[in-house]
Amino acid sequence: MAIHERSLVEPERVLRKERLVIDGVDVSGDWNLVILPRVIEDYDLDFLDEVLKQPEGKTILQCYQCSYCTASCPVHNYWDERYNPRHFIYLARLGLIDELQKRADVIWRCVSCHKCTHRCPKGVLVEETLKAILKVMSKKGLIEEYPSKKFDTFFLEAVFEHGRIEDGELLFGWIEKQGYQVFKDPILKKPIPFLGGTPEWLKQLAVKPIKSMNIDFLILNAKHMLFHPKTKNWNKFKQVLRKVFDEEGVSLAH
Amino acid sequence: MAKSVLVIGGGPAGLGAAKALGSLGIPTVLVEKEDKLGGRPVIEDYHTLIPRKMKPDQVIGPFVSDVQNNPNVDVKLGTEVEAIEGEAPNFKVKLSNGDTVEASAIVVATGFQHFDPKRKGELGYGIYPDVITNLELEQMFSREGKLYRPSNGELPKRVAFVFCVGSRDRQLGVTNVHCCRYGCALSGLQGTEIREHYPEVDVFCYYMDVRTYGTWEYPFYWEPQEKHGVRYVRGRIAEITYSPSDGRLRVKHEDTIVQRPSEVPMDLVVLVLGMEPSEGTKKIAKMLGLAQDPDSLFLVPAEEAASNITSNKAGVFIAGACKGPIDIESSIAEGEAAGAEAAAFIGAKVTA
Repeated sequence: MAIHERSLVEPERVLRKERLVIDGVDVSGDWNLVILPRVIEDYDLDFLDEVLKQPEGKTILQCYQCSYCTASCPVHNYWDERYNPRHFIYLARLGLIDELQKRADVIWRCVSCHKCTHRCPKGVLVEETLKAILKVMSKKGLIEEYPSKKFDTFFLEAVFEHGRIEDGELLFGWIEKQGYQVFKDPILKKPIPFLGGTPEWLKQLAVKPIKSMNIDFLILNAKHMLFHPKTKNWNKFKQVLRKVFDEEGVSLAH
Repeated sequence: MAKSVLVIGGGPAGLGAAKALGSLGIPTVLVEKEDKLGGRPVIEDYHTLIPRKMKPDQVIGPFVSDVQNNPNVDVKLGTEVEAIEGEAPNFKVKLSNGDTVEASAIVVATGFQHFDPKRKGELGYGIYPDVITNLELEQMFSREGKLYRPSNGELPKRVAFVFCVGSRDRQLGVTNVHCCRYGCALSGLQGTEIREHYPEVDVFCYYMDVRTYGTWEYPFYWEPQEKHGVRYVRGRIAEITYSPSDGRLRVKHEDTIVQRPSEVPMDLVVLVLGMEPSEGTKKIAKMLGLAQDPDSLFLVPAEEAASNITSNKAGVFIAGACKGPIDIESSIAEGEAAGAEAAAFIGAKVTA
């Protein structure tokens, strides 16, 4: 059967089959097209239990959908209406997984301004709760690892090694990881961003701040770049941290 | 003959009035059409009363024994008022048992009746055995002490509360446009009771708004959610169907937060019933010429009166659920106030 207003139906809800048999009746031919209903057929109640098991998710039951958080949220106000913390909480509580998945591309976009948490009249730790929801989605394989987490892991790896980061290494290491070419000196393998095949915009990015730096700061940075700074007694902390990571199942490249 | 007061109705409000009058030493006649004092909560075996989570016997029991043991109160059970003649302070009241009572003042405490959910055919009450009323759920708790699906006697996995059945509904005519006031809070309490005794049962409350007003907000709305995991889903249930393939009910509604239609399986559906004025209330209103709300037909106080127990008719005081939905402890308090007002009206001198 022809759908005259096909544009009104999302393509994933339109099923067309060569042969279609419903209740034993062959309805192939003109009737071989089915529109799946928009109806919510059930809740996934385990989802909430999983969120409640996360230490960050304990306050999710306190939400009464007043939307104080969303009204305060800069991401919702200035970016995308689909980023709606209040709505994510509602969907998670009922376990409406397909609705959460529809927002998988925006749900990790929190900028951690914490206005929601500070203002919530019911004491929901909104930002933490959203992290818990993300964590459960990721654990259940409902979303790909969210992009911001990749940088978090990269950052954590840098800290884990030395107890602190080195700006140049972090910045250019990350850019290199994104597939851009960064020139390195052949002996120490340190990035020299204004040489070689480094893209022009990246050269500018590196040269501009260097030009405006005062000389002491420049020397300090160069020193840090050559001899990576390390936190005092870091190895002891590192051992403790490793133990925690092992217990929580966090895996790093090192 | 000493001036006496007639109290019509032996529920919470009527008992409050009769107790107050009796203890002031005023001859009182209490007329109750049922064979038992206590009103709906006692006769229909409510389980736990909002807002103080006490049992009907704890709340109403002391009033019943007080009224029965007070020599000033003449309790007439199984009796109805048939006709009232005259004006205050000389009412002549004819009762169904043939007696005539002379009263100087009247307290009307004729109460309410539950909405009949069969009038909402789309909700399937009376068709599907697993669609019950919140009153039947109370009786399940109080009479049988357990939760089960009437269709097969098994424990339900999921229970849904359908708010506002027979309330806030113009489809039923102007008579049912008011809010029942108790429903949200009682559902919170019943949901809590289910979750306390059967933690494996999931409870859903389908609401448009949650009107747990005043101090009821925390115990009957926040606590059920936060402590007991009762789930609140926004949307009014428009239809209940039965699926023979799995023997479960489907509650059809639009989830107005997600903005999607929804047909979710449930094992037991509880309809939260609205309140209507009882037949007795309408009858007495006609007999005495009392002012009624033009829509709901509940009694309304006199326009110029500051107190809502003062009726438009001199010497007649109105108390409790005959004036609209009210909780039981407020009903008792109104009854007591009406009793005191009636005593003042007849000019009774209280001596130590």
